[in-house]
This record gives sequence, structure tokens and C-alpha cells, in this order.
Amino acid sequence: MNALTRPAPAFGPAPDLEPALLPWAPERMGEAPPPAPAGAPARRRFGPVEALWLPLRLAWRQLRFEKARLASAIAGVMFACVLVFMQLGFRAALFESATALLSAMRADIFLMHPMTIVSFKPEPLPRLRASQALALPEVAAAVPVYLTQATWRNPATGVRRAMQLVGFDTEAGVMDIPGLAPLTEALKRPDTMAFDIRSRPEFGPVARLLGERGPFEVQLGHRMMEVVGLIEIGPSFGADGNVVMSELNFRRVVKERLPSQVDLVAIKLHPGADRDAAMARLRAILPPDVMVLSQPQLVQHERSYWETATPIGFIFMFGSLMGLVVGMVIVYQILFSDIASHLREYATLKAMGYSNLYLGKVVLGAALLLAVLGFVPGFAISVLLYDVVGKGTFLPLGMDAARGFGVFGMIFGMCGLAGLLAMRKLRDANPADMF
Amino acid sequence: MTEAALPLVLRGVSYAFGEGELRRPVLRAVDLEVRPGEIVLLTGPSGSGKTTLLTLIGALRAMQEGSCRVLGQELAGASEAQRVQLRRRIGFIFQQHNLLGFLTARQNVAMALELAPGRGERERLAEAGRMLAAVGLGDRGESMPDQLSGGQRQRVAVARALAGRPGLILADEPTAALDRQSGGEVVRLLRDLARQRGVAILLVTHDPRILDLADRIIAMEDGRVVPAPQADPVRTG
Ligand SMILES: Nc1ncnc2c1ncn2[C@@H]1O[C@H](COP(=O)(O)OP(=O)(O)O)[C@@H](O)[C@H]1O
Ligand SMILES: [Mg+2]
Repeated sequence: MNALTRPAPAFGPAPDLEPALLPWAPERMGEAPPPAPAGAPARRRFGPVEALWLPLRLAWRQLRFEKARLASAIAGVMFACVLVFMQLGFRAALFESATALLSAMRADIFLMHPMTIVSFKPEPLPRLRASQALALPEVAAAVPVYLTQATWRNPATGVRRAMQLVGFDTEAGVMDIPGLAPLTEALKRPDTMAFDIRSRPEFGPVARLLGERGPFEVQLGHRMMEVVGLIEIGPSFGADGNVVMSELNFRRVVKERLPSQVDLVAIKLHPGADRDAAMARLRAILPPDVMVLSQPQLVQHERSYWETATPIGFIFMFGSLMGLVVGMVIVYQILFSDIASHLREYATLKAMGYSNLYLGKVVLGAALLLAVLGFVPGFAISVLLYDVVGKGTFLPLGMDAARGFGVFGMIFGMCGLAGLLAMRKLRDANPADMF
Repeated sequence: MTEAALPLVLRGVSYAFGEGELRRPVLRAVDLEVRPGEIVLLTGPSGSGKTTLLTLIGALRAMQEGSCRVLGQELAGASEAQRVQLRRRIGFIFQQHNLLGFLTARQNVAMALELAPGRGERERLAEAGRMLAAVGLGDRGESMPDQLSGGQRQRVAVARALAGRPGLILADEPTAALDRQSGGEVVRLLRDLARQRGVAILLVTHDPRILDLADRIIAMEDGRVVPAPQADPVRTG
């Protein structure tokens, strides 16, 4: 402001009036204005860049000055950042793996019993529904899908372990599973099956054995079955491993199962048919003991079970929140003690004419600088940990842009909130008590 | 010269701390004028209200009673924003130097210039460097405050107070924390620089060694301005 009115050294006679005088400018008091210094600036306000840059720079200079404090603040933010990334990563990975089996099943439309809440505890529906679906002209084919679990004997160690079995007409081409297409011929043979290469290693070195000796026999349930190839599904909550076989072979392994009771029906539409319209018509013609779902709906149905009917979602949300709270407390503590130990300096700045708003910007600037400085290494560490932990747990942990930005937003908000809380301490910097 | 042209005019300024039963008047109907370029020393026993008066004039405290016109701004009833604006036109010198410990001497002085837009960083630092040279610290611009002696720090504070081209300088016992010699140097420097620029100074001091600097000496006692014994009759009026 003093550049504006430049209070007069001697209130002497002065050149032209500057426009836009402040109310208390001497000129308004009926006095001669102060001499404008040569090259007086024409600008009266800070540009938006300078108005943010100067407080931010002051914040940075203050942060930088105390290295130990800066390091502990960055470590705090980094800790919160890694914690949140890991929690969200685990959450997403668990939900993703929980639905691995259904995600791998590719068909146009599925029929499921409405009381099936999760795929490893299916409520059977009558096989007849598959034939009834064929009544619609746009339906090209409908095949029943059987799901169950049976014990698998590890071919290397002999240890038995529960395995998820999927049985359906693999030749009909109604439902696809990654890696299944080249195996359809082999799966026609009696007592054959395809093994999920992403099953947990406890099931034995199946891929290696298959590569070394070609198709070989493994005990599944009470039967010796031949592994003829590899498919790709991935372990889920309900099952650590999967095998896929033809409907006929499924019935050979699971003798007690009534063929008339199926767990899912997969439907293939004629090319060019409108899926949503077909789904609506299926709902109209089928009795209420079936639910008509698209493939994404099927996956979502399973996912919502894990999200809402189990505490998994809550646990990870709670974990993330705790990380943010701890981070916020650390940042708040650091900012607060920074202000508390510099009360004199802040009060001096106020006495010089720095506004509360400006000093607030300094504190908030420090908070947001800490957010950035903590996030960058936190992000790098999280990417590394995703890789290491993902390999160790077979969970599909992976960084994506949405999560990166989301966590940055959370950390930014966390630091911002800490800054806003710490800002209240600025009130204690009272310049009237300074002299 | 009319009253409105004076950098400082106080009329009937009273101030009390506390409320109700605990209310304790500290200033009682103070009248005071400072003329352009004048150097006024304010003395008086401890607790007589000098600091309180200075914080009122410096717009650091809200007024209670009376009229206080500083650089044309009436402070009675002034808003917080108006007071903040006025503070930018006043140079403060504190008993302690109160420099920002994390900034160099030159950056500290430049802080007084960052309040006004229209200058680039380079210009501000150059001006800060000139101010430091004017207080004899041209070569210490890059020193941190804790690398400077007490007298040097107070000289940096003088440079900072003058850098913003204030219309009035307020100083509260600026020599109290300094030894005899450096205290004398600092106030003489302050006086010379203020004289060059024609800035008025109101300086609170107990230090008898610096009374000779004054154009006029006033004294306070129990919240009132009283005739000062050593006041220089020639320069007053
Ligand atoms: N913030 C305050 N609250 C209450 N009383 C105060 C406060 N500041 C000063 N006082 C009192 O006001 C009186 C005048 O103080 P002050 O203005 O500091 O005097 P001086 O600077 O002349 O020594 C003293 O009695 C002091 O105790
Ligand atoms: Mg005092």
C-alpha cells in the first residue's frame, strides 16, 4: 500500500494526484499528495500468481530451515500415504479376486437363482430354464453351468486341498474362459480337465509338470482326472484354485449331483441381437426363480456381497481413515509447533501489515507443500510395495491413475485440514503484546 | 500547518485494560502531536502506559476512547482491514530485533517490500541491499540473524522498518537489549536515516544517553502526558 500513497517525507508540494486514492490518503485530507517516486508502479494489486507465490515461498523457506522437523513431517505424510495406498490396494485386490471366477466366465447373459448371494454357495435352479430361454428367437444357445468344490491332491506332495470345479458344455462355444478355446478338443475326452494356472502354488507345480511330461493324472474327489491344459482364472475368496471340465466329466467326478439342478445358465445371443432387450424379454417369459444378469451385473452381484455383507469393505476404509487421521495429527503437530515457536515472528509480520489472510496462506502453503513432498516418495514406495506384496500374496495389487489421484486428493485434504486447524494458533500471535 | 497534515494527532485518548471490577485505566485523556520529520522521545516510569500508547498509535490495538489520527487515518472506529493497511505505512522497531530466523538479513528487509505490489523480486532485493548498506551492513546481506551481533541485528531491524518508506517510525526501547555503544550507534543511525527521509519518529526510551537526539521530549506518568523536565524549548512549538 505504501507504494500507492507513499506517505510524504515532508508533505511538501507534489505533482499530480494518483487516481484511486485510499480513504485515508493524505490527498483526501485536503493536503498536497506526497511526491510520487520516479517510475511509480502503475499496478496496485498483486497478480494472482504473486499473491500465492510469495506466501508459499515464505512457507517453504520456513519449512526448509528446520531440516529435522521437515523430515519428520514428510515422513508422517509419507506414512499416511503408504498406509492409504496399501489399504485401498488390498481392498480393490480382494474384491477383484473375490470375483475372479465370475469375471473369467464370458457369456452374453446369465441366469442365476435369485437366492444365490455368492457363487461358492449357489442356490440351484432347474435345468429346464435353459431350454425355456431358447424359446426366444434371439437366443442362439443356452448351456447349464455346474459349480462345486472337491478336493485336489497335490501331484508333488500328495496333500489334499479344496478346489473349485466348473463344469459346462465346453464345445458349445456359449461360455468362454481365458485360455479355454484351444483346449476344447482335449476336454472332450473322458476324465480330462483344464487347470487354472493362477491357482495358489499349494496345488502343486502343475504348469511345470504339464510342460515336462505332457498331460498327467491328478486325483480330484475320488477320481483320477487328466490335466490336459491351462486356463487363467485366478484364486478368489471362495476358492484357492479352479479347474474347468466338460459337463460330462463334471458329472463323473461329482456323482451325487442331480443333472437337473444347475447353478448358472450361460446364454449366447445371435450376432447383432440387442442384449438389453433380450434380457427384458427373458425376464418376462421366465418364472421368478431366475435372475437375468449381464456379465458385468453378475460380477457386480458377487462384488456387492463382499462389499456389503462382509466387514471387508469397512475394515479397509477404517484402515485408510486411520492412516489419514494419523497423518493429519502429525502434520498438525508440526505446523502447530512451528507457529508456536515462531509466534514473535508471526506477530512481527502482523505489526508490519501482513494480514491474517496472508499468514493463513503461509500456514496452508506449508501444509500443502508437505502434502506434495510426502506424497511423491509415498507414491513411489507404494508402487514398490504393490509389486513386492502382490507377488508374495498372489493378490492382483496394482497402481492405477484413478487411485493415485484419489489418494493425492486425500493427502492434500488431510494436510489442508491440518493446516486450517493449525492456523487457529495464529490468533495467539498478537502484535499488541510485542513491544 | 493544519492539524490534518501532521503525521500524528491524538486527542483525549483513554485506554483501560480489563472489564468491570477489574477495569484498570492505563491511558487518561492523552493529547499528543508529532510534526512532519520531528523526532519525539517518550519517557516515563515503567507501567506509565508508554507501550500501550505506542500500540494504539501503531494500529495494533483497537481504540476505546478519543481520537487518534495517524498519517491521515482516523483510528477510532477503524476496521481491522484499515488498521492492517495503516500498519504498512508505519515502521516499527521493537525492543527485540524480531527478525525472521529462517531468512537472511536481506530477505528480512525485503519482507517489508513484499507488502507492496509492482516490484519484481530482483528490484526488492536490490532495494533491501541498499537499505542494508545504509545501516552499514552492505556486506552482511546473506548472513542469517543468528550470525549477527545484537547491534547488527537491530540495525537490520532499522533497515526493515525504513525499507517500506513509512510515514512514521515507532520504536519501543530499541536500545534496551543492546550494550551502551551499539545502542547509541543504532539510534543515531535511525535518526540520521529518518532525517534524510524526513520521517517523524516517536521513540520510547528509558536510556538517558540518547535523550540528546530528540527534537522534543515528552514524559508520561500514570497514563498522562506531563511536562518533561529536559524538554528542549527551542525545538518545540
Ligand atoms: N495486555 C495487558 N493486559 C492488562 N494490563 C496490561 C496489559 N499490558 C499492559 N498492562 C498494564 O498497563 C500498564 C501500562 O503498561 P505499559 O503500557 O506497558 O507501560 P510502560 O510501557 O510505560 O512500561 C501497566 O500497569 C501494565 O501492567
Ligand atoms: Mg513498555
